Amino acid sequence: MLEIRNLHVKLEEEGKQIIKGLDLTINAGEVHAIMGPNGSGKSTLSYVLAGRPGYEVADGSISYKGEDLLEMEADERAAAGVFLAFQYPIEIPGVATMQFLKVALNSQRKARGEGELSTPDFMRLVREKADKLNVTQDMLKRPVNVGFSGGEKKRAEILQMAVLEPSLCVLDETDSGLDIDALRVVADGVNALRSPDRAMLVITHYQRLLDYIVPDKVHVMSAGKIVKSGGKELALELEKEGYAAYAA
Amino acid sequence: MSVTLMKTPAETAFACAFDAQGPLASVRKSAFQQFAETGLPHWRMEDWKWTDLRQIISKALPPAAGTHAGAKVIDAIVAAAPFAGVANGRLVFVDGQYDAGRSALPAGVEFATLADAGSDRLVAGSTDPIAALNLAFMSDGAVLTFKAGSNIDAPIELMFVTTGAAAASYATRNVIVLEEGASATVIETHIGGEGEYLHNAVTQIHVGENARLDRVKVQEEGLDGIHLSNAEVHLAASAHFKDFTLTMGGRATRQQGFLTFEGEGTESHVSGAYLLTGKQHCDTRLVIDHAVPHCTSRELFKCVMDEAARGVFQGKAIVRRDAQKTDGNQSSHALLLSDEAEFDAKPELEIYADDVVCGHGATSGDLDENHLFYLKARGIPEQTAKSMLIAAFAAEAFDDVESDAIREVLTGLAEGWLDRRKGA
Ligand SMILES: Nc1ncnc2c1ncn2[C@@H]1O[C@H](COP(=O)(O)OP(=O)(O)O)[C@@H](O)[C@H]1O
Ligand SMILES: [Mg+2]
Repeated sequence: MLEIRNLHVKLEEEGKQIIKGLDLTINAGEVHAIMGPNGSGKSTLSYVLAGRPGYEVADGSISYKGEDLLEMEADERAAAGVFLAFQYPIEIPGVATMQFLKVALNSQRKARGEGELSTPDFMRLVREKADKLNVTQDMLKRPVNVGFSGGEKKRAEILQMAVLEPSLCVLDETDSGLDIDALRVVADGVNALRSPDRAMLVITHYQRLLDYIVPDKVHVMSAGKIVKSGGKELALELEKEGYAAYAA
Repeated sequence: MSVTLMKTPAETAFACAFDAQGPLASVRKSAFQQFAETGLPHWRMEDWKWTDLRQIISKALPPAAGTHAGAKVIDAIVAAAPFAGVANGRLVFVDGQYDAGRSALPAGVEFATLADAGSDRLVAGSTDPIAALNLAFMSDGAVLTFKAGSNIDAPIELMFVTTGAAAASYATRNVIVLEEGASATVIETHIGGEGEYLHNAVTQIHVGENARLDRVKVQEEGLDGIHLSNAEVHLAASAHFKDFTLTMGGRATRQQGFLTFEGEGTESHVSGAYLLTGKQHCDTRLVIDHAVPHCTSRELFKCVMDEAARGVFQGKAIVRRDAQKTDGNQSSHALLLSDEAEFDAKPELEIYADDVVCGHGATSGDLDENHLFYLKARGIPEQTAKSMLIAAFAAEAFDDVESDAIREVLTGLAEGWLDRRKGA
């Protein structure tokens, strides 16, 4: 599903190198975790996958479902099934959450040549998914992420993911700022989306999340590269020994 | 009379056309004298720095009243007016003159045309040159009285159609009086056709004790039209006044609001939005005069400028020495959608009392890249995402409008503007 080859990324403005030769392959049905110290470039990788401006791919390639991902605009990537759950979800004053979700879903459907969902069908869909994630009607009435607590923002991201049903889910530190109950709710939401045609990339700083979302593979990222890969037991090892050995 | 300053073709046309005969001759005469002392306001005058009417009104637009346009042209303009389904009664003025055939009013509102109402209702107190010009040449307008304790909730619309059929100027003047405890919603719609013209509109408002007025003004003048307007607002004790203006039309707009708190415990919200493109120009000037204690004033303007459009917001709050416990806050925010678009804000506070809370703020910027990316990352195409963000920006000012039905119309107007922009 996703094949990253020799990826080099620098900041467009400062020219600073952040990702320095990263390789990663994720097949459909797999869940991969990336762990690593702060500043190692994990969020940068997630932004480059989602198509955020400001980053320059100096070398390497990313192919997604056999297509050149880097040639696609952010909205085209989303319509093709790429979803990023942001480490810091963005507040958008004045844009109602429900309207935002509806426009997003229908834009994606339109781009894929599917018909638009009617308002009642859409409302039903969102309500059903929101209940499972403890996202209240009150939250849905507010503007996108505005006035949400840290935990509410993370749950709202997962709700968006559940509604949009992407093929490649990139979760950037979705666990940060969550208490144990919220973590469980979020993990249940993510696990419900696991399927043979879907791949997931779970970025986290702590092993804790991986008790709930059990990965097929774990990678350690440091200074812009993957420096070690292994099975889920690698996460436990990291938890015990810390990142000192991988410091940038 | 000093006419030495009157030297542009437009000023000369006003001077030639002025005829101090007929009803209200003495009021008109002193008003014209007052106007003649300054002539058209220009950039060297403090409050007119950004809006030089000598430049803007570059050719003679002689005062006129009555239309040369055919019924079909007028019908087409009226049919395109936005509040058809919302207004509960409508008074239509075409090229400065009352059009009884297109007007209807519900029971309970006292109405006279300005032409019939006589002079007692006309307050000539303003020292503003544009208001003086209006008084000198005013042709018609609505004099509305909402009786004590009456509650006319469904909106009454005053519609000013300027056809542009003649290169002329039209001066209209309304007087809106809410007696004690009355409550009403009044919409002012200004729409225009093609062609060069000038519309000078004055509205005098008196909100009595415990009375409430929601006023909504939508300005969609023709794109070669010039819109000058003055609202002179007097608020008695415990009155509530809400005023919202949407400016989309006109080549150049100067709108002024002079608001005086005359009784304690009164609240006013003045808000507005601009949706401007091309070379459109809109300058709003507000003077909020806290003459008495315990009053609250809020001003919020959200201004969107695309292409080479230019927006100006000048808001001044005066807090007199006795006006203790005044609570005043003013802000203007500009969204610049192109490198050529411009916005200037001039907030002023003149405070003579010591126990008050007053503030102001102004911001100006383009669309937030992070907001745009977040929407795109969810699959929303760039143009749609931009439209959503622009609508959200402007809508904050719509929130001040009380009526859901009116807010829906405003939202629809903004959507129409955004669709035209997207299509361009
Ligand atoms: N837009 C940016 N401007 C400046 N520095 C940045 C920017 N994005 C990332 N960086 C820098 O790049 C490095 C990697 O950041 P990031 O990808 O956020 O790491 P992680 O998510 O692993 O903590 C850090 O040193 C960070 O300061
Ligand atoms: Mg990060």
